[in-house]
Amino acid sequence: MAAKVQVTRPTKIELARLKRRYRLATRIQKIVKDRLSILIMEFLETVKECAIVKERQVAEFNEAYRALSMTSGYLGSEKLEKDLFAVEMPLKMVGKTRNVAGVRIPLFEVERDETVALKTAVRPGMTAVEEDTITAARRCLESIIELAELENSLDLLGSEINKVKRINNALEYIVIPGLNATIRYLNMKFEERDREENARLKYVKLLIEKREAYAY
Amino acid sequence: MPIDDDPSTRDRGLEGAVTEDFRILNTQAPRRKKSLAALLREPHPSVPCYDGNDHHFRKDELERLAAILGEDEREELLLPLLIEISGEARELKVRTKTGVEAKVLESLLRMPVDRRKGEIFLSRAQLPVIRRLLKTSTQYLFLV
Repeated sequence: MAAKVQVTRPTKIELARLKRRYRLATRIQKIVKDRLSILIMEFLETVKECAIVKERQVAEFNEAYRALSMTSGYLGSEKLEKDLFAVEMPLKMVGKTRNVAGVRIPLFEVERDETVALKTAVRPGMTAVEEDTITAARRCLESIIELAELENSLDLLGSEINKVKRINNALEYIVIPGLNATIRYLNMKFEERDREENARLKYVKLLIEKREAYAY
Repeated sequence: MPIDDDPSTRDRGLEGAVTEDFRILNTQAPRRKKSLAALLREPHPSVPCYDGNDHHFRKDELERLAAILGEDEREELLLPLLIEISGEARELKVRTKTGVEAKVLESLLRMPVDRRKGEIFLSRAQLPVIRRLLKTSTQYLFLV
């Protein structure tokens, strides 16, 4: 795409202003490119982490379902339902944020309430298989929270990458070539003006010389 | 809604978007840093940022850092560590006064780091490793 020349007034002040804008745009583009590479790196790292957590989550769900079916077979579904209904999940989730290169990303932290955990652990009448089921379910819940954080991060990072890419492309293909073309055009214009001025001066000089020659 | 197709208006719009983006690049920078020891004492460790929000730390990350350092060094290590990125230079920089930052990074990278005149120079390949281990304890700082 040919760069567009945009000149309001072909003056030296305008040229100086354009040169300043060109320098600024080039520097900003370098920073924007850096930010883009950082965001892409963060995105890829999050993707990797997300895959690991998903794999772990599948394993944990398998384990939890196996434990649940074992407990169900051992105690009977009615007793199991009654026991699990009374179980308090000793989890407390704190939602916070962190900032990655200008993107606010959620940060979920699971805090274990030890007093509730103790209450759950020492409940009378609870069998070992039931405790195993509860522990497996708790692990599943933790991995769900972790995955939610990662997937939300991916979403936010992805949309920011798109935004930064658009800015980078605008700078690279529209703003900088446009400024460059305008600066070139103004330089040519000034050179042309100088040449015209030289020719005019030579002509005036010739006229003066002729007039002086006639005077004598 | 009428569409303004004037090139100068579009140019102004682009310029505005770029300036805005440029301005918000470093708003995540902390208004003040806190020592590792102080953060470990807080129930929800965080530092205030220039954008008015708080940047929170993961407790397990702080505990990992505490395991690397001694009692005195925990007071000296100020968090978050700022990784400076400049468009001109290919290397990344972390400023250090006492050298505790170098000790932490060397321990995490399992290799000596390039330290010159109060600055630690990191290569781009080392960045993902550091960020993976210290997600909340490090932040980027974009320099013009």
